[in-house]
Amino acid sequence: MNNLDPRTKLIIVLVLSSLGIIYSNVAILLFLLIVATVTATICKSNLKSVVFKIRKLIYTLILIALFQSLLTNKGNPIITIGSVNLLTDYGILRSLEFILRMGIIIVSAAIITTSSSRKIIQGLIQWKVPYEIAFMVSIAIRFLPILRDEMTDMLIALQLRGIDFKKIKMKEKINIYKYILVPITTNSIMKAKELAAAMEMRGFRAYQSRTSYMVLKMGIRDYLVIASSIAFGIFFITFQKV
Amino acid sequence: MYSIEVRNLSFKYKNMEANVLNQVNFQVKPGETVAIVGKSGSGKSTLCNCLCGLIPKVYPGELSGDIFINGKNIKDLSHAEIVTSIGIIFQNPSTQLFSPTIEDELAFGPENLCVDREEIGSRIEKILKVINMEEYRYHNPNHLSGGQQQLVAIASVLMLNPSILICDEIMSWIDREGKEIIKNLLLQLKEEGKTIILVDHEAENIQIADRIIQLGEK
Repeated sequence: MNNLDPRTKLIIVLVLSSLGIIYSNVAILLFLLIVATVTATICKSNLKSVVFKIRKLIYTLILIALFQSLLTNKGNPIITIGSVNLLTDYGILRSLEFILRMGIIIVSAAIITTSSSRKIIQGLIQWKVPYEIAFMVSIAIRFLPILRDEMTDMLIALQLRGIDFKKIKMKEKINIYKYILVPITTNSIMKAKELAAAMEMRGFRAYQSRTSYMVLKMGIRDYLVIASSIAFGIFFITFQKV
Repeated sequence: MYSIEVRNLSFKYKNMEANVLNQVNFQVKPGETVAIVGKSGSGKSTLCNCLCGLIPKVYPGELSGDIFINGKNIKDLSHAEIVTSIGIIFQNPSTQLFSPTIEDELAFGPENLCVDREEIGSRIEKILKVINMEEYRYHNPNHLSGGQQQLVAIASVLMLNPSILICDEIMSWIDREGKEIIKNLLLQLKEEGKTIILVDHEAENIQIADRIIQLGEK
């Protein structure tokens, strides 16, 4: 399954994440999350690594869910302080819904990571997406780790000058982030310009079209998986109430 | 006919008061290796960017004077004609490489120029032999050493088969071992008849140059 065409994987992701957005029933969302996890495992997606990479985002999502449940007044109260409903069963259901929905999107997106960025670009190009847009997406993704490294370098430089991030107050921390935002943005723009110059000097957009050394060909297995994914989506929407 | 001819070239970056380049004139013969030296801020990199047309296309400013590449004014050359006549390699190898494998990186240039697949394949095999990196064909360029990354950057430019090669301080981010490999490659390219422009601070990196042009001094 790992060798599936990236376009096939994109369709799987599209079906799963669309269903995840359409439905709001916790049981259905849990079922979809299980389906997404099984599919990702069959596709040999490294879920552990994905979860590790986005661990900070997961903490944020849990925090959002917690706030969402605390700020919902509807439903039967579970914890109350005076006349204020602090936690309700409806609030818990809504936050669970949110967590499961995000889980489906993250896990199904992990299926895509089993294909290289070049293959994904090629898939998009063969789907008639303009190659400039396909490359733009790929380069934007490539620049994320560069931005993160830039940020880390800047923070280390500040720590070497005696600023201990663990000891300073939140207000000071925010101020420091404000100061380093300008050099980080400037450096990133400079690097983006260098990259643009390198691409320009290798003839990027010299012509309206381009040839491709890599050509993707779908096999019978791809067509079968695409047909099953679409059939699963249609079946689900037809027989399951939204 | 000269490979490069620069006539009265002056350039001022947008929002800057002073000119970076002032009435620069020089010629480079085909197959010649010329080193351009000068203090920091003397305009070496700016000159390189002018020679390959990145100025004023990517870096805007006020440009005057003329640049002739293989006898033709650069203003009259199309994008495809420029990149197949003149190639440039920059200091930082990591911002020149953006593909997940070396094969993809090498194929990028010819793909843009609509070269057919068989031809791209044969060029990749040939160039990997030149840089002696055949076994790295499917490796991620980000996992290579600085020297190897710079070799891949040179190879990606050579994939378009330009007759002129500009090397803008390409050894400044590389260790001693990497420098030796790159110097040997440049020597090999020089013997093949490529016109090479070398920009560098260190004297030992420009030993292969036939002559030196000093920038920023009268």
